[in-house]
Amino acid sequence: MRLLVRLYRSLRIAATAARVYLLYKLPAWGRRLLRRPEPEDLDASHERAARILLGTALSLRGVTIKFCQVVATRADVFPPAVIEVLKQCHDAVPPQPFPRIRAHVEAELGRPLDQVFRAFEPEPMAAASLAQVHRAELLDGTPLAVKVQYPDIEQIVRTDLANMRRVCAVYEFFDPQPLELRPLVKELTNHLALELDFLREADCADRVRELFARDGTVVVPEMHREWSTRRVLSMQLVDGIKITEKEKIQAAGLDPADVVQELMRIYTRMILAAGFFQADPHPGNLFVQPDGQVVLLDFGLSKELPEGFGLGLFELMFSMMTLNESAMIRAFQELGFETKNGDPSTFLLITRRMMKRSDTGRFEGEFTEQMTDELFDAIRENPVVQVPSDFVLVGRVFSLLSGIAHTLGSRANVLEAMGASTG
Amino acid sequence: MGAPAASDAPLEYAVDELLADGPYEAPLVAGQVRCHGGFDAEGRYRSPRTLQRAPAIRAWQAQLARDGHELLAIDAALMPPQYPNVEQAKLLLREGVRDPVVRRLTIISIVEGFGAIIRDVKVPDLAALVVEPIEGTALAHLRGGLFEAHARDEAGYRDEGGHKQMWEAARDLALENPRIPGDVLMRMLGQGPGRRRERRRALPRLDEALETMLATMAQVLAVEVFAMGAFDWGERLLSDPEVSANPEAAGSLVSYIRSDESPHVEYLRSALSEVSARSLRCVDGGTIPGREAVRVLLHATLRGLTRERREEQRQAIRESLLDSMQAHAQPESLLERYDALESAWTPPAKTGFEPETPEA
Ligand SMILES: Nc1ncnc2c1ncn2[C@@H]1O[C@H](COP(=O)(O)OP(=O)(O)OP(=O)(O)O)[C@@H](O)[C@H]1O
Ligand SMILES: [Fe+2]
Ligand SMILES: [Fe+2]
Repeated sequence: MRLLVRLYRSLRIAATAARVYLLYKLPAWGRRLLRRPEPEDLDASHERAARILLGTALSLRGVTIKFCQVVATRADVFPPAVIEVLKQCHDAVPPQPFPRIRAHVEAELGRPLDQVFRAFEPEPMAAASLAQVHRAELLDGTPLAVKVQYPDIEQIVRTDLANMRRVCAVYEFFDPQPLELRPLVKELTNHLALELDFLREADCADRVRELFARDGTVVVPEMHREWSTRRVLSMQLVDGIKITEKEKIQAAGLDPADVVQELMRIYTRMILAAGFFQADPHPGNLFVQPDGQVVLLDFGLSKELPEGFGLGLFELMFSMMTLNESAMIRAFQELGFETKNGDPSTFLLITRRMMKRSDTGRFEGEFTEQMTDELFDAIRENPVVQVPSDFVLVGRVFSLLSGIAHTLGSRANVLEAMGASTG
Repeated sequence: MGAPAASDAPLEYAVDELLADGPYEAPLVAGQVRCHGGFDAEGRYRSPRTLQRAPAIRAWQAQLARDGHELLAIDAALMPPQYPNVEQAKLLLREGVRDPVVRRLTIISIVEGFGAIIRDVKVPDLAALVVEPIEGTALAHLRGGLFEAHARDEAGYRDEGGHKQMWEAARDLALENPRIPGDVLMRMLGQGPGRRRERRRALPRLDEALETMLATMAQVLAVEVFAMGAFDWGERLLSDPEVSANPEAAGSLVSYIRSDESPHVEYLRSALSEVSARSLRCVDGGTIPGREAVRVLLHATLRGLTRERREEQRQAIRESLLDSMQAHAQPESLLERYDALESAWTPPAKTGFEPETPEA
């Protein structure tokens, strides 16, 4: 990568970090000088900070976007106002010019484009943080979606990660009570390494397809390995209704409530039962077909859970839904939640808070967005609790799913989705 | 169980009364886990939430008998044998093949826990849908404490464990905290297609919520009655010193669970019998005999459980059995010995709830 570009990226990231930092600190210094009390509501600053971050991310692509995505998943660490803004980082990434993409694909596949494809649309159908997706046709007419990593993305990622580590170090040096950012950067580094290997992504897609092979309820695009490399992924082009398009779903004669229920079943099966799951159910990655089948896309962020973790999660959700306090505390411990002072009574506090709901209302088998949100609120308010990182990923999946449920105006009955009929 | 004794207990209860507990001299602690119920001064186990629920159920059943109606019963001969049976399970444990037994016990505990869905069953306006009055019946108390008590018994509540936790404790005591096979949930969770799409109406003239409620009750009743087989199995296996590390403690836990289940069977039998003794208003303005509705639903559920369901489960267990035996020195001969112990069984030709009039 050219030195100038590198310098530019470093400066943008550093400048953004500085702006965000000052946004919080200037008013605090001002207040200290004027001896004013701390304001109760920091939401406005949070939101502005998040917008600055998002702006930088969208123009730089690469890790900055991913960083925003990761922050957006850490409802256990960051305030809701930040999360709200950073959730948007999935849309609106400007695509790369086609000649670059073309040259890149040809280099990867080792032959001219027209020896593989009868057609290859220059306009991408989607452009995301690390790659863009083009519609294409094989010589025999098979329609494909070809996901192409941005040329240079690996270097970009490397520079960005280095910058980010530096910025974090500086920040932690200056801030007397720093947020713990370095573990986030580490998490990000791990995810990125996985996401940049499209052959692994193809393997993951095959595994998930296999899991639902007997059902006939889930569609995972077939992978065309002969035309794929670590950086280019050729797959079956699938279509369907975007999962959040309620009117279209209804127009197809489907009940959005059934779609939500089915989605919940698919994810509980992957996460709790199989312990292997597509960890990125944002609405762009999910379609519904007119016959009710659900299409899963984008297996870049697929995750294998340690043995026993699925059962532990099941216990946690089940105990929450059946209002069993002591079982919930045991589940927290089995899942590897830890308190920094080793005092388990914190779990009791969190649990009690969740259980308070039972005095006011009933769960009706639901594991709703409120429950997820409430759990994360409770965890954030008890900073002595350390959340296992696998749980963070799972928590993000459930909050994305409840976001979809919310959009479709329905709620899943998780007990039912788990297959309560099994006797 | 048995013939309802003459009862002068009241027929009307508030929710809290049906949930009322104790008094207990000592709590029940299963393994490390505080569970429901407790022991009286003589050291006898007393089931949870039965202080008033038990006499209430007897009073409703006595009332039914006074009105000249029968209390329906599911024939115990319909109960499929356990798979693996006690002898097969003991053989596996003796030979060090523990996963299939651990898996089976874990599945029982989870299925018990799922009994808690009964509290989410929508109860429609029964006073409007049932032609005859329903005051002073079990039917009128479903939402008013019976479903809730049942749910708490199965999955625990607050700081007390329920049957789910008691089965787990029995398993962990008897088999000394075994490793739980990673595929347990794979075999029972979320196998598609989703239930909603399968939804079929057996009684399309009936109010949909009413049919769903009655069908769920019929299903749960059948599962509860058949669960008695699982309790026998669990009790015999886990109290056998040859394979159990804690025969006394593990065996008695299962016996406590069994005694807690009796009110479940009895209130469901009562409520379904009360429906049978009445007529139901249909959406088309007509009525159908409750007896017919209950028979249709029980017949369907019993056929399902004794035929397809039983065979599916047997197959699934056998498949995983073969995997678990691979680590054994002589899997083939073990399998042969195992198969030789199988109890042959064919479901009885009749469920006892066949339609009484030729089907339309
Ligand atoms: N096989 C396919 N058929 C149809 N559309 C597809 C296919 N694969 C991807 N797309 C479209 O392209 C978009 C981007 O693809 P994908 O999510 O795989 O890229 P990504 O770089 O991993 O994005 P993200 O930012 O979510 O990580 C998808 O949201 C979907 O709309
Ligand atoms: Fe039970
Ligand atoms: Fe029961």
